Parts: sequence; structure tokens; C-alpha cells
Amino acid sequence: MKTIIGLIAGGGDIGRTRVFWIGFGVIVLLFLLYPTQTSAFRVSNVSFYLLNIPLGLGMALLWGYCGVLSFGHVAYFGIAGYTYGVIAGNMSGHPLGPLAGVAGGLLASAFVAGIFGYFVFYARVQKWIIPILTLVLTLLLETFLGQTAGYQWRIGSVLLGGYNGMTGIPWFQLGGFVFEGYSFYYLCLLVVLACYFSLRMLVNSNFGQVIVAIREDEVRTELLGYDIRARQLVVFVLSAMLAGLSGLLYVQWGNYITPSQVGLLQAALPVIWAAVGGTTSLLAVVISAFTLNWVTYTLSSQGNQYAMVIIGTLLVVTMLFFPRGIVVMVAERLGRLTTRRTASSKP
Amino acid sequence: MELNAAIETRSLNKRFGGVVAADNVNFKVLSGELRCMIGPNGAGKSTLFAMLCGLESADSGQIFVFGQDVTRTQAFKRVRLGVGLTFQTNRAFHQLSVRENLTIPRASAKQENMEVGQARLEFALDAFGLDPKDQTKAGELPHNQLQWLEMAMVLVGYPNLILLDEPTAGMAAEETQQTAKVLKHLNSTGLTTVVVEHDMAFVKDIAQTVTVLHQGQVFAEGSVAEITAHENVRKIYLGRA
Repeated sequence: MKTIIGLIAGGGDIGRTRVFWIGFGVIVLLFLLYPTQTSAFRVSNVSFYLLNIPLGLGMALLWGYCGVLSFGHVAYFGIAGYTYGVIAGNMSGHPLGPLAGVAGGLLASAFVAGIFGYFVFYARVQKWIIPILTLVLTLLLETFLGQTAGYQWRIGSVLLGGYNGMTGIPWFQLGGFVFEGYSFYYLCLLVVLACYFSLRMLVNSNFGQVIVAIREDEVRTELLGYDIRARQLVVFVLSAMLAGLSGLLYVQWGNYITPSQVGLLQAALPVIWAAVGGTTSLLAVVISAFTLNWVTYTLSSQGNQYAMVIIGTLLVVTMLFFPRGIVVMVAERLGRLTTRRTASSKP
Repeated sequence: MELNAAIETRSLNKRFGGVVAADNVNFKVLSGELRCMIGPNGAGKSTLFAMLCGLESADSGQIFVFGQDVTRTQAFKRVRLGVGLTFQTNRAFHQLSVRENLTIPRASAKQENMEVGQARLEFALDAFGLDPKDQTKAGELPHNQLQWLEMAMVLVGYPNLILLDEPTAGMAAEETQQTAKVLKHLNSTGLTTVVVEHDMAFVKDIAQTVTVLHQGQVFAEGSVAEITAHENVRKIYLGRA
């Protein structure tokens, strides 16, 4: 238990003080109470903001901690979502269908990421090429899915649906309990917290330190006795599974998925969340993924056509004035301020 | 293959386009030896180091480390055989703290060397004035401490053999002397050490044997006295003065 607390509270992410953890607890409590204070519609919207966070966390782990930028991680979001739709759709009415869909979705995203990552990392592809390769993969997937309209494009009884997408995807359920509305919100919250704490433990472990070392200098790390390719592959697969987790929650939330979910626009979003928050902090990406989803969704739902222009502008501003990310830089300022105050209050 | 050889290369060749970096290099360092390697720029010293630790593959020839043929062995696996290397340009993790720099290599440490390896590490940390709990960013350290930090990082892996590429580059005289003192002590505990250096005073201070590389070939080999008296070595590298 002491080890787990030590790993969670370690220095691999911002927020290590008692004040931080009290604030963290208060915010979690507010999220727990939120459904009691608002409408089902708003709870559903917040579920959407939450369900995207694992995708952002995967991006932070891969890009921020391991130094590998994937511009196509939504491919794994889509692979998991479509796989869930096919499995759960074909097992419709069976209580284990959704669970099998979740397992199938995560395995499918891990499998594709494993094959793709193996060739990328074991061939020692240069880092700057990886974003292009990953983007190509997701655009190929989008193009393929887009031409799957028609009755001939079905797996079992489930139609892939071309650009109209796959519809009627079942809710997630455990036994006889179906997660929809409020219960789905709590499921998302639980998944986000579990992912966040697990990743905090990971980045504070020796494995986490080694992946940071790989980011800093691959050759030096290899010459300290580490198989860097294997570690990069593990991180890549893990981050793809996190993207897959978001894809699973997405299809359970809206009961549909379209090829545009693996398109260029969606591919850019996790990169923007990570860059705006600060790639080197899990918490920063959690905050920015939630906030930017809220901003985008709110602007879009009010008929504002410029939501993506605003998000793009924010990215440019961040790159120019907050190169390490807005949340990370604010946290650093607060940290310095607290240290200065503590120092000046000492006699 | 001689049993107590820490390193042995046989007819090692390496070309970069038209440039010959290693030309039929037969090179041997015995276990427990402190060897210095000198030669003009472009002689092939760093390339030889890169081939020894697996960063560059040889075009032909063989490399043995502690009797094991490692010619096709990946770099990280050679490190696990007990080989440590520091680079000509410092490659400590500048954005990470001193503590992290000294913690990261620990998981790959050669555990069978733990007792002697830990004693060597503690001696070096003490002599270099490095605190393994220091949270200072490595990049904020002065140049000499940064060089020493990278040496200490290699020692965390409890190696049997260290390859140091210009470890005193950019250091002041006192710092160079301190480095020499530490290397001599580490070698006295049985740590095989191979050093590439240009600073002849440093080489004279520490070397038991000196190998001179020139145009990718082993040009001369012998004691410090023999090498400094060698007419052709003086001509190509040391100067006639």
C-alpha cells in the first residue's frame, strides 16, 4: 500500500503537495455530486468530455513522456469502437455481448498498434517520420471505412455503414445492469480516475523513468543497458489501448460511430489537447482535454462555425507563448510562488 | 581468443563511403588493464569505440568482449555483459535531475558485480562531489561535474569494463588531476579501463599501455615511455619538440 501511494505521489507529474491532493479530492467530490445538481442532458455532455480523456492521456504518455509523436492515434479509437460495434451488435441480447465487445475492442487496438509499432520501432524509423506514418494509417482507415456503404459490407448482422457510420451500437452492460445516462457518467469518471492513477504509478516507476530517459536521449539510454525499442513498443501499444478505451466509451455514449472519427480533424485533436495542456504532465492533459472538449462542444452546439478555428488559434498561441503548455507553465509559476512564500515566512 | 582479454578485435574493418575509419584493426586489452588510446583527429578512435559498444557495426572482422563474440550483438546486450561507455560530447540527461540520472541506470546494473561495483560507485561519487539525492537539473551543473556525472551513471551499472571518450575534455588542470586520481583508483580495484584522450599529460599520468591509432590502423603500441620516444609517433601526433 505504501509503495502504491509512493508511486502515485512521485515526481513524475505536477501536483505533489498536500494542498494539491486536498484540491484534487474536492474536485473529484464535485464531479461525483454533479449529476444530482443538473439535467440528464448536461450529464451526458460531461460524459463526452470525460470519455475523451484516456485518449489524451495516451498521447501524453507517448509524446510527452516517451518522446514519440503519433498524429494518428484516433485510428485505435476507431478500431476499438468499430470492433465493439461488430461484436456487441452480433451478440445483441446476450448479457456478455458488451463485455466481449470491450475485450475485443481493446485487443484489436493493441494488436494493430503492436504490428504497426513493431515495424516502426524495430526498423528504427526516425522520429520525425513517425507522425507521418501514423497519420497515413488513420487516413487509410478513414478512406477504407468510408467506402463500406452497402449491404455487402457487413460483419455478421452488423453493417459498417460507409460514411453514414455504424449505428445502433449497444450500451455497455455488466450482467443485467446497463450503463446509460447517469450510470454511464459514473463509469466514465471511474475509467478516467483509474487511467490517471495507473499512469501516475507507471511514470513514477523505474519503467517510467526509463521511458523519460529514452525521450531525452535514446542512444545514452540504450548504452545504459535498456532495449529501447521494446519499451517504445510497449508504450505505443499502451497508449493505443488508451485511445481504444476512449473509442469504446464513445460508441457506448452515442451508440454510433462514423469514419470521420478517424479523420484528419479528429486526429489533430489529441495532439492539440496535449500541446495546450503540456505534454510532460498527465494532469495537465486531463485538464486541457476536458476543457477543450467542453469549449469545442459548447461552441459547436450553439451553432458557432468557428469552434475549430478557435481551438487552432489556441494551439498557435500556446506554441508561441507557452511552449511547455499552459497548465504546466501555470503550475510551475504556482510552485515557485509557494516556495518563495514558504521561504519568506521562515524566521 | 586469449582468456583474460577484456576486449579483442580481429581484422576489424569499417568504411564510411571513401573514408577508412578502421583498417584491419587487431586490438587487445587485458582484463584489469588501464589503456589509453591516442591519435590525430580522424584516426578512428571514436569509431572503434562505437564498434566496441555496438553503436556502429563493423564491415568485417570480429569483436570479443570477455571471451564472447559480440560482433553481431546489440548495444544494450553488450552493456549487460559489463561494458560501460561515456561519449566525447556529454550525454547525461540534461533535463533530468542528478538523482534521476543516477537512478535510471540502476535497473540494468550487473548484479553479480554489486559488491565491488557499489564500492567503486561510492568512491567516485565522493571524489567527484556528487550527491545521489541531488534534485538539481543535470544541465545546470558546471561542465566538469556534468562529465563526472556521466562517468558515475556508467558506474551505476556495475561494469567490468569502461570506455571513456575524452573524459577530461574542457576540464581545468585540477579537475583533470581529480579525474586521473579516480580512474587510477577504479582501475586498482580491477576495473578494465580504456580511455581516448588528447591531453598527453593526463595520458602520461594514468596509462599503463598506450595504443596509437592513425588512419584507421593500430600504428604503435607500448608503454608511455616507448610511445613518447617513438620517432614516427612523434612525427604524426606528438610533434618533434
